[in-house]
Amino acid sequence: MKKLSKKSAALLVAGLVTCGLLAGCGGGDKAPAKDGGKAVAKTLTFGCQMYSDGLINPASQVNCAWNVSRFGIGQTLFRFDDNVKAVPQLAESATPSDGNKTWTFKLKKGIKFSNGTEMTATKVKESLDWIREAGKKGSSNPTKFLDAGAVVTADDAAGTVTIKSEKAYPDMPASLADPAMCIIDVKGTKNFDSGIIGTGPYMVKTFKDHVGYEMVANPHYWNGKPPYEEVKILFMGDASAKANALRAGQIDLAENIMNVADLKALREDKKFTVQVAPGTRVGFSWMNMQDGKPLANKALRQAVLKAIDYKTICKSNTIGGLYTPGPSVVPSSLGYGFDKLKNPYEYDPEGAKKILDEAGIKDTNGDGIREINGKNIELRYISYANRLLNDFSDAHTQYLKAVGIGVKSEYGSSDDQWTKLVAGEYDFNNNNWNVMIAGAPTVFMANWYSKNKDNFCGFKSDAYDKAYEELRSTMDTKRYAELMQECQQILINEAAVLVDGYYNSCIIYNDKVGSAHMYPLDYYWITDEIKPAGAK
Amino acid sequence: MDTKKNKFLSNKGFVLFSILAVVIVLIAAFAPVLAGGIDPTAGNLADAIMAPDAKHLFGTDKMGRDIYARVLYGARISLASTFVLVLAVFVIGTALGVLAGYFGGWVDAVIMRIADMMIAFPGLVLAIAVAGMLGASMRNAIIAIALVTWPKYARMARSLVLKVRHTDYVYAAIVTGSGTWHMLWKYMLPNTITTLVITAATDIGGMMMELAALSFLGFGAQPPTPEWGSMLNEGRDFMQSAPWLMVYPGLAIFITVVIFNMLGDNLRDILDPREE
Repeated sequence: MKKLSKKSAALLVAGLVTCGLLAGCGGGDKAPAKDGGKAVAKTLTFGCQMYSDGLINPASQVNCAWNVSRFGIGQTLFRFDDNVKAVPQLAESATPSDGNKTWTFKLKKGIKFSNGTEMTATKVKESLDWIREAGKKGSSNPTKFLDAGAVVTADDAAGTVTIKSEKAYPDMPASLADPAMCIIDVKGTKNFDSGIIGTGPYMVKTFKDHVGYEMVANPHYWNGKPPYEEVKILFMGDASAKANALRAGQIDLAENIMNVADLKALREDKKFTVQVAPGTRVGFSWMNMQDGKPLANKALRQAVLKAIDYKTICKSNTIGGLYTPGPSVVPSSLGYGFDKLKNPYEYDPEGAKKILDEAGIKDTNGDGIREINGKNIELRYISYANRLLNDFSDAHTQYLKAVGIGVKSEYGSSDDQWTKLVAGEYDFNNNNWNVMIAGAPTVFMANWYSKNKDNFCGFKSDAYDKAYEELRSTMDTKRYAELMQECQQILINEAAVLVDGYYNSCIIYNDKVGSAHMYPLDYYWITDEIKPAGAK
Repeated sequence: MDTKKNKFLSNKGFVLFSILAVVIVLIAAFAPVLAGGIDPTAGNLADAIMAPDAKHLFGTDKMGRDIYARVLYGARISLASTFVLVLAVFVIGTALGVLAGYFGGWVDAVIMRIADMMIAFPGLVLAIAVAGMLGASMRNAIIAIALVTWPKYARMARSLVLKVRHTDYVYAAIVTGSGTWHMLWKYMLPNTITTLVITAATDIGGMMMELAALSFLGFGAQPPTPEWGSMLNEGRDFMQSAPWLMVYPGLAIFITVVIFNMLGDNLRDILDPREE
C-alpha cells in the first residue's frame, strides 16, 4: 500500500510537471495590437543567418558591411533595384565628367542620421574617407569600390560631393551602392561593432552576442515614418529552425529557407507568402591550385568536373530546383554570353576515370581510392550549413568517390569556412556568393585575377589576367560582354572552379506582414518596404 | 557455480534481453550480408528522399542512399564505439579509483580532485566543448565522453575499496607479506568489480545515447559515415515531409538502448539482489 502510494504520488508529480512544461510551450503573447478589429503589428521579428558574428562595422568584414545594409541600419548614396541597376537613395543624382574620372553627387535634402545629426556633404566625405582608411585592416575592401587615391570634396552649401579619381569609373553610383560604402555618422558612432549610426529606417537599441539585435524605428528617418516601432533580429543558422519558428509564430519574416520540403509546405500554406528573386548568386567551390596542393594537378581538376552529375543534383528532391546547373561562375540568367560557352566537362564518369588513368592517378592497392605520389587522395572539403552548401558538398563527395577520388568533409561555421579559405587550408571550399557586386561581375571575376590578393585559390592564367585587365577598364559595353565571355571560357577550360549552380534567393513572411520584397542583390532584407498587414 | 549458472538462466528477463543483445550484435556483424551488398555510403541523387518501397525497404535519404543499409551498418559503428567507450571508462575509472582508495594520501587527493573538477561541469556540455576542441570525429567523441565519465567509475571504485581497505583481513594479508600489486589484484579489485560491471552494463544504453547526441550535433561521426545520431540529424530537416529519414535510425537507437538498459537492469538483479 505504501509502495503504491509512493508510485501514485510520483506519477501525479510527473503528470503535473509535464502539464506545466506543455503549458509553458504554449502560444506566446504574439497577438498584435488590435486597431478597429484589424491586427496591425508594431513589432517585426526577423529570423536570419548570422554572418560574421552579426557585427556591423562595415570596415571590418564583407559580411559586417552587408549586415549594416541588410538590417536596415545603414544606406548608400545609390542602391540596386530589381534590375540590378543603381538608383538614387541618399543622393538624388550623379553626374560624370572628365571621361568618368570625376563624379558629382547631389545629395537629397533633409536627410538625418538616426542620432538627429544632419547628413551634410561633409558628413558624406568623412564617411567615404573613413571607410577607405579603416577598411585597410579588414576584408570588406572598400577600395575595390572607390580607389584609395580618389579625392572627395564636399560642398555643404550646394549639397554636393565631388569625387575625383585617376581611374575612370564606368558607373560610380553602382560602385558606391555596395554596402561597404554605406554612409555613417563617423564622429557620432561610439560603438562601431554593433552600434553604427546610419540613415536607415531602424537603429540599434541592444545587441546580444550570437542572439541578435533589438532595433527601434529611426525617429529622424528621411523617407517617412518607419512601418514598425520595433524590429527584432534573431540569428538562426538552421533552415528548419527558421521554418519552424515561422510556423510557430515566433518570427514573422525569414530569409532563405533552403529546405525544399519546408519551402513547399510554406508555399502551400495560405498563412505564408514566399517571394523568390531571380538569382545573381552562384554556389561554387574554390579549388585550391596553390603549389603542393593535389588540385594543382589539372588532370585531377578535369576529372573532378567530369565526375559530377550537376543536372541530377540540382533536379533532386534534396536541392529541389533551388539551384540551376551551369558550368560558369556567372549565372545563366545574367547573360554575358552564357549560351555561347562551351563546356568540355559535362558529366562523364568513365571520361573522368580515363583522364585519371592517363595522368597516372591510379588505385594500386585496390581500396577504391586512387593515389597521387603513393598516397591515397584525400581532398579536404570545407563547407558550412547555408544555402544547401553542405548538401552539395555531400553530393560531390559521393560522385567523386565513385571515380576513386577520396574526400574528407569538414563542415563548420561560415567563419570557419572563411578563415580556411583565406589561409589556403582546403582543397575544396564551398561558397554561395553574389556575382553582381557593385552592379556588375567585374569585382567578382577578380577572384581569379592572379594579381588580386583575394585570389584565394592560386589560379594563374596570363590569358585571363590580360582579359581581366581590359575588362575592368573598358567603357565599351559590347567589349565588356565579349571579355566577360572570354574570362568565363578560360575558367571553364582550365577547370578552375567547381560550380554547384545558380541560386535564387527568397524571403518568406506570415500574414501579419503586409508586404516585403526580396531583391536580386540580397543587400536589402529589412527595409521600409516591409509593412505590417493592415497598415495604411 | 551451478547455482550461479541457474541464477542467470532462471532470470527470464536476462535470458530474453541477452538473446536480443546477441541478435543486435549479429546484425552488426553481418550487416554486409543483411544489406544485400548495398554500399551504405553510395547513393544516387536521382533517388533522393524516396519513400520506403520494395527496392528500398526503409526508403532513401537526401543523398539517395539506402536507409536500410545505413541503419544496419550504423549498428556496427554505434555498438563498436559504445563498447569501446564503456570499456575505456570502466578500465580507466576503476584503475584510478582503486589506486586512490588503496593508497590514500596525495595519490587519492590528486586523482579525486581531478575527478571533482570533471564532475563540476555538466557532462554533455563539457563533452561538446572537448569534442569541439579536438575536432569532429567518432574517435574524438569517444575521448570527449570518456573524459567526463571516468570520474563516476573512479569514485565508485574508491568508495568500494575504502570499505575494505581497513578491515582485519586486509591488514592480515599485508603483514603476511602480500605485495602491493597482489593486494590490489587479489583483494581490492574483486571487491569493486561486481558493482562496476553492473554499472557498466546499465551505462551502455546511456553512453550510446550520448555518442548519438554528439553525432547528432555534428561532433561525432562525419558524413557519409552511417551512424544513427548523424542520420537523425540529416533527417531532421525532413521530419514532416519525409519522416522515414528519422524514424528508422530513431527506432534503431530506441530499440538498442532499451535492450541494453534492460539487460543491465536484469544483470543487476542477478548480481546485486539488494538493489531489487
